[in-house]
Amino acid sequence: MMNSMTILIADDDPVIRKLFEKRLKKEGYEVTVAADGMEAARLLDATSFDVVITDLVMPGDIGGIELLKIAKDKSVDIEVIVITAHSSVDTAVDAMKKGAVDYLEKPINFDELFLRLEKIAEVKALMKNAGDLREAMNVTESSAAQTIQDLEIVNSQQQALLDKLEAILSDSHQDEYSRLEQALQLLESR
Amino acid sequence: MLKITPEEVKLVTKYIYEISGIYLDESKKYLLETRLNGVAEEQGCSTFQDLLKKAKTDVSKSIERKIIDAISTNETLFFRDTGPFQLLQHKIFPELIDARTPKSPQLKTNLKVWSAASSTGQELYSVAIVLQELLGDMSKYSIKLLGTDISDAAVSQASSGKFNKFEIERGLARDKLTKYFSMSGQTWKINDQIRALVNFRKFNLMTPFTGLGKFDVVLCRNVAIYFTLEDRKKLFNKIADVLEPDGYLIIGSTESLTGICPRFIPKRHLRSIFYQLK
Repeated sequence: MMNSMTILIADDDPVIRKLFEKRLKKEGYEVTVAADGMEAARLLDATSFDVVITDLVMPGDIGGIELLKIAKDKSVDIEVIVITAHSSVDTAVDAMKKGAVDYLEKPINFDELFLRLEKIAEVKALMKNAGDLREAMNVTESSAAQTIQDLEIVNSQQQALLDKLEAILSDSHQDEYSRLEQALQLLESR
Repeated sequence: MLKITPEEVKLVTKYIYEISGIYLDESKKYLLETRLNGVAEEQGCSTFQDLLKKAKTDVSKSIERKIIDAISTNETLFFRDTGPFQLLQHKIFPELIDARTPKSPQLKTNLKVWSAASSTGQELYSVAIVLQELLGDMSKYSIKLLGTDISDAAVSQASSGKFNKFEIERGLARDKLTKYFSMSGQTWKINDQIRALVNFRKFNLMTPFTGLGKFDVVLCRNVAIYFTLEDRKKLFNKIADVLEPDGYLIIGSTESLTGICPRFIPKRHLRSIFYQLK
């Protein structure tokens, strides 16, 4: 299967950035890189990404946790993986509580990353499939609903007419001729 | 995977009908097989007949509950099919509030809504959100929103007010999501203010409706489709009994009451239909 996901990398270390870009592109992913949280936020604002991989600690006002929030606010469909130093797993767990899908420890094990990305792609494909099915169901359902509503209303009007006819025809205070005349009038006035 | 024999299909569908009123015909073989396999395995049963025997003799009824949880369909969304919610917001609730507001300003306006097959709660929480948006300050109102379902698992999830992202994302606009839910990890939890408006409990629609009181609005969407024609007639007749004389009934958008309950008349508003007593 082609790796067609779009990935945004945010890391202030140019060596790591370059490494991510090279390895992920080789796997077939579409990769964009940002040198810090601010640049990543600008890119997120302008384009849509399937996955954001971000370092937790970056210079400037926007760190990994802030970027996670920006991404999730833009769309809950954007999956965020945070990168953390070996010693700060607690921060990574905190990021996952805030909505990150996973975390990676430095140094990056790329085989592990590829596996996780595959899992993310699988879930996204399933979600899309469920969404497509739901969409198809909605179209069918709303078209059926309109037909049923029309029939339901017409039927209840017919029922009301029948009730009236019955009342007229069984009205013993009038002779048969005027009952029939009234019944005919009612039918003609439909 | 355990295979179900034609004889077992007959026995199992009969049993499911008895415990839940859900009527499955013999074409549902595959559904029975896939949905009950887990329960059979968990109970260490090597055939579906074994499972039935075990379920029937289990005094704690825990296997019966597990079978109901497995067999009942809990596909539901927040604001599933926008029609009924627009109907509630623009017509039904404004009309009810007009009709129910007492002359004395000291008295509260009472409103009672019943979601008769509430599943995991999305429908009733959506109703609560509509009411909150419409009324703003709730202190002048006494609002009782009841959700019932045959599945214990569904009732307990509904009560928790917690939803995973798959259950929440579709149907719920971003502004409502952030306004009425808070996120913890991959789970979204409904705000306490909305949670306080609703109540969920287990209820089998096949049983008598005693002790429920009367409702201003009953939502009974996409559940009667699993019942036989006879049971549908009984169900809507019982609903007519618990509806206020000027109350409103909303059924699923592809359902019909023609030939089922002559006590109701359909009325159309915009692109939706609701029912009132004759």
